[in-house]
Amino acid sequence: MNIAVLIKQVPVSNDVSVDPETHALVRASSEGMVNPADLNAIEEAMLLKEQTGGKVVVFTMGPPDAEKSLRDAMALGCDEACLVTDRVLAGGDTVATAKPLAAAIRKYGEFDLILGGALSADGATGQVGAMVAECLDIPHVVEAQGIRYDEAEADKIVAVKKFHDKKLSIRCTLPAMVSFNFGCNEPRLATLRTKRAAKSKPLVTYTNADLGLNLDEVGIAGSPTAVVDSFSPKAGRKAVMLEGTAAELAKKLRDLIEEEKGK
Amino acid sequence: MAKKKIGIIGGGISGAALAYHLSLYDGEAEVIVFEKDTIGGASTAKSAGTVCLFDDSLKNRYWDVRLYGFESYLKMEAEEKGSAGFDKTGTLVVATNEEVEKVIKTGIALAKAAGYTGEYITDKDRIKEILPDISTDNILGAGYTADDGYFDGTMISNTYAKKAQKNGVVVKTGVKVTEVVVEDKKVKGLKTDDGADYEFDVVVDCTGPWSKFTGEMVGLDVPIWHTKAEAFFLCPPGKKLDYTFPVLKYPEFYGLRAGDNIFICKSHLSMDLSNPMHAGQWDPDKLPATGGTDDYFIDFLLDQLEAKVPGIVDSGLVSSWLSYRAEPKDFWPILGETPVEGYMLSTGYGGNGVIEAPAATRDLAKLIMRGESTPLLENWAFKRLL
Repeated sequence: MNIAVLIKQVPVSNDVSVDPETHALVRASSEGMVNPADLNAIEEAMLLKEQTGGKVVVFTMGPPDAEKSLRDAMALGCDEACLVTDRVLAGGDTVATAKPLAAAIRKYGEFDLILGGALSADGATGQVGAMVAECLDIPHVVEAQGIRYDEAEADKIVAVKKFHDKKLSIRCTLPAMVSFNFGCNEPRLATLRTKRAAKSKPLVTYTNADLGLNLDEVGIAGSPTAVVDSFSPKAGRKAVMLEGTAAELAKKLRDLIEEEKGK
Repeated sequence: MAKKKIGIIGGGISGAALAYHLSLYDGEAEVIVFEKDTIGGASTAKSAGTVCLFDDSLKNRYWDVRLYGFESYLKMEAEEKGSAGFDKTGTLVVATNEEVEKVIKTGIALAKAAGYTGEYITDKDRIKEILPDISTDNILGAGYTADDGYFDGTMISNTYAKKAQKNGVVVKTGVKVTEVVVEDKKVKGLKTDDGADYEFDVVVDCTGPWSKFTGEMVGLDVPIWHTKAEAFFLCPPGKKLDYTFPVLKYPEFYGLRAGDNIFICKSHLSMDLSNPMHAGQWDPDKLPATGGTDDYFIDFLLDQLEAKVPGIVDSGLVSSWLSYRAEPKDFWPILGETPVEGYMLSTGYGGNGVIEAPAATRDLAKLIMRGESTPLLENWAFKRLL
């Protein structure tokens, strides 16, 4: 089974603020790392590769230094990498990110499965994976907890989702796209040896010219999203310490809940 | 008698230990420590804290410096458990040639003279009993003691600061020194970023990797380079070691346990100041909290582990960080007076700050309070580098 994994390089620091003019996220740190939920997707890809063979190719769209995250992904076992990078792609919203990624996957080769993290640690829209699937006209399952593959049904996979306290198993025809929740498995660690090996694994770079997308489909021009406003939540909520016996505290809590319900 | 006013810039292990030693001159010193961040953060927090009875990190010539440091921390631990963060894992120092072997044997003799245990082992099965993952090929033997291990530089710094405060020292954290006031080549005081002015008789730079920038405030070129300390935390295959991983010392690198993981790092004495991958002059404020390591050190440590500790070479890489050590060209600290009267240095400890700070600052406190030098201060004086 050939698998594509979509990853995003996100800032190491959580220190992200909002630019009041452009409403874009301003990252305090330039140090990047693989988005945590994408590590869970890589782990699922590795488990499937161990079961079925084939190769795993990791894709990302970003600035040239996103190569670092691609190398980190290859240190975890991904075989090859593809970096989509071009200044004309900068500033794109989720649609203008999904289109180049889908075009890159199509250009790179045939894949049975496309995997990714359900949410990024910075933007957290949770949209790109499904949009890539729509661009490629394949089925998708988002926010999965795991995936099963049975060779007796070689053209299908079963994605498992959490549904309250139940499990929901969704049988899906291949090729398909599945995104995974952060923490759904325990990602393996790279070793010094695999870090070294990752440096010489193949990595191709695509520009927008390679992908052949029109300039009005990508970057800011190709982004239908209009960010009207974004802001840091206002701090200032007040905490009140309740005191009293257990019974008194329970009554005060009930009164407060009733008061809130009445608002 | 008027109290001597002393300002200490930097609240790492050197600044905190100096504040403590000055505070012991009962009521004679008025001391303020200025730390722009937190006590024992920055490069002290990234120290491995190995204070071993015999290894190659500090020459046997300075045995008394090592012993004073080690015993100061043991006493801290005895006063309050955990205050020096002691993890008594023992130390295995591997002899790869006869010269190293001789140094180890001398160190063992010195440790025994001070009442500690130590043995030089040539029985390779016995070495593997202590460290099952080691390769005993191409080694002559190893020195071993169960009496030492590693300490926590951050805990020690905070303990020193706490003891100093108890003796009247003022510790200001989150306060950055913006100017050292000098008139007629003599220090008068300093200014801080909260707008305050202070008068001092003596200002001591304890800023380690920042000393280059701190010295510029008095027009002094502090001759230190930065060497990279790139540390990697490994999770051994099988997740949990079933033995106590000792502090492991080779001339080229060292390792120690860190919880269930193993910390490894290229040794500071194997750094080459003329190699731009090893050394340079950088801005420590730009260091990331984690990561920032170079592939060069991954390759280096992989080769070392494959040859010397193959049992852990395929460990998972949990995390890594980069720190800068402050190294003068001869790899010894810079202590004491400078051409600017009243401006003193306690910097350039390289990878040995935790080992050397107690003895070095004990002697520096005596120089500041009594004007009396010591052999150590003479050996590590700034003027040797002029």
